[in-house]
Amino acid sequence: MSPDFENELREALRAVDPEDGFAERVRRRIASETRMRRRWLSARWAPEALAASVLVAVLGVYGWEQRRERQGLEARQQLIEALRVTGEKLDLAYRGVQDASRPASADDAGA
Amino acid sequence: MTDGAACSVCDSLARARAGDPSAFAELVRQHQRTVYSLALRMLADRHKAEDLAQEVFLRLHRNLARVQSDVHLLFWLRQVTTRLAIDRLRREPKYQLLPLRADPGIASENSAGDPLLRRQLRDLIGQLPAAARAVVLLRYQEDMEPLEIATVLEMPLNTVKSHLKRSLAVLRGKLSGVASVAAAFPGDGSVP
Repeated sequence: MSPDFENELREALRAVDPEDGFAERVRRRIASETRMRRRWLSARWAPEALAASVLVAVLGVYGWEQRRERQGLEARQQLIEALRVTGEKLDLAYRGVQDASRPASADDAGA
Repeated sequence: MTDGAACSVCDSLARARAGDPSAFAELVRQHQRTVYSLALRMLADRHKAEDLAQEVFLRLHRNLARVQSDVHLLFWLRQVTTRLAIDRLRREPKYQLLPLRADPGIASENSAGDPLLRRQLRDLIGQLPAAARAVVLLRYQEDMEPLEIATVLEMPLNTVKSHLKRSLAVLRGKLSGVASVAAAFPGDGSVP
């Protein structure tokens, strides 16, 4: 690449200054953005933000308690079912024992 | 940059980091030419360039704590300016279609040479795809080496060299009425 052409490019792309007062405009923009950010975090929004946080926390705790209660109920139902099944099995076993012993008694009576 | 000037920048940087608004303003004044020129040549519009340059300094203000030295500051400013400009060009391709010479405020014709040729060159650079344009600007406006450009643009060195080679070929060809930008950057579209 010829140095002349590259020099022409450098000349064509010579740096230029922004319009006067650029630094001041930047300062104003920074000040404006800083104000906006502060306003966003200011006390004006704090009560609403606090209320929203409390609401979220309460809803979270309520949901957690509901879930635990539901789990407790399910466990209780399972226990009742297990007791019922066990009772039925015991009842069957008891009847089996009774049936096994009844004919022998009848024979004894007939003799 | 002389040692004295570099120290001045270091001093301004340290004071700006400490929260001194006048030191930050001094930093802006020291670098506004670089940032604004890059933005202007990338976007080819004075108002958009002013807005982008302001945004760059706004981001600098937010990220001052991360800037370690004056060298790092210059690197940071070039990187953020080119990235933001490329992002804007991608979002709004219409920027690319604005010829630089349509805006009387963006050319500097103070030096000797062929002003018509320089205008044509600026127009043609404005037609390059965004990434290629950034490479050319960093090379010939900022006088950066290809390796530095690769670091700033986070681009492989060979890609930088390829962009430079193709862009220069396009510029030369267009000046002599031979090549076209689209033919030299197939698949790049108007804005990459």
